[in-house]
Amino acid sequence: MQILDWLFKVPTGATPGTAAVTAKDRMRNMLTHDRLELPAGKLEVLEEELTAVVARYFDLEPDTTRFDLKQIDRKAALIANFQLVRSKC
Amino acid sequence: MSGRVIVITSGKGGVGKTTASANIGVALANTGASVCLVDMDIGLRNLDILMGLENRVVYNLVDVVEERCKLRQALVKDKRMPNLSLLPAAQTRDKTAVNAEQMKKLCEELKSMFDFVLVDSPAGIESGFQNAIAGAEEAIVITTPEMSAVRDADRIIGLLEAQKDQITQYRLVLNRLRPKMVANSDMMGVEDVLEILSVKLLGVVPEDEEIIISTNKGEPVSGTDNTRSGLAFRNIARRLRGEEVPFMDLDVKNDTWVTRIVNFFNPVRV
Ligand SMILES: Nc1ncnc2c1ncn2[C@@H]1O[C@H](COP(=O)(O)OP(=O)(O)O)[C@@H](O)[C@H]1O
Ligand SMILES: [Mg+2]
Repeated sequence: MQILDWLFKVPTGATPGTAAVTAKDRMRNMLTHDRLELPAGKLEVLEEELTAVVARYFDLEPDTTRFDLKQIDRKAALIANFQLVRSKC
Repeated sequence: MSGRVIVITSGKGGVGKTTASANIGVALANTGASVCLVDMDIGLRNLDILMGLENRVVYNLVDVVEERCKLRQALVKDKRMPNLSLLPAAQTRDKTAVNAEQMKKLCEELKSMFDFVLVDSPAGIESGFQNAIAGAEEAIVITTPEMSAVRDADRIIGLLEAQKDQITQYRLVLNRLRPKMVANSDMMGVEDVLEILSVKLLGVVPEDEEIIISTNKGEPVSGTDNTRSGLAFRNIARRLRGEEVPFMDLDVKNDTWVTRIVNFFNPVRV
């Protein structure tokens, strides 16, 4: 019986890698781009350029730069995080 | 009298706009309100079939707009419910047959005759959509939990947001939810879709074979007892009338033994 199979299968919760979680992650990313009319790949270019600018003023901790596009109530926020070592000025 | 004009819209086709229009219309009429269903899917007339009224259509919305008949002559009264009428779409014309200005005027007139005017709209985000929403102050956005439908719903929400002065309120109906698949993390659930779209929820309608049976009979499920989808649509109608009807979490969010057993014995409340 299908119901019994389901009832006795080990609970999963919101396990990463499930179809539901993958769909939600893909949706978030897709809608962020849709709403901003942002072509795929542009964010990566911005990240590179912005990092280069900051790197002219500061030594940066290698491999620590983080770039996040967050949605808060259908509005987008770009959150960039650079770990600075010292000024170059 | 000044009724409320509510447009039912989705972006993507086949997600349940016409089904929702018919069922919410019947459920509202059963609460005692007078209701007019307007089929704005010109060229793809469907709503008359779902209502079981296809043999009684004489004139249509385009005839009214082009003044070949009076509005009252085109309205098809539902014999089972005297306070429910249908304004059918034309079957042989296309979306350009009625413009936004004409739609606005038509809705003004209908508003003076009915408590609720529900406008079923065509798929898409082009002129057909713009014309369908032209006379409305409220919208119901309908989607299924599938990615492509949610994406299109997001486009529609964006367009409605841009017309905030006219559309003062919109809420979401999530249709064809499969609680078991959600419980197995095989598809997105209510919480997931609401979070992604940042939108207020009007109701959740489960996937239900009864909908197909009732469509074949020409009797919307919300008019009969004992179906989960019918109850869902009746709850939606009550919420539209301002009643607070609690939602139950259809998602088995924290999937544990306890929630499973609780949900097993106490299945779906919508
Ligand atoms: N909750 C549901 N459960 C099962 N079938 C449904 C449900 N909602 C809609 N359907 C079916 O999906 C199909 C498309 O619905 P319809 O209302 O015509 O969509 P739309 O008007 O958005 O194109 C129809 O065959 C309908 O019977
Ligand atoms: Mg339709």
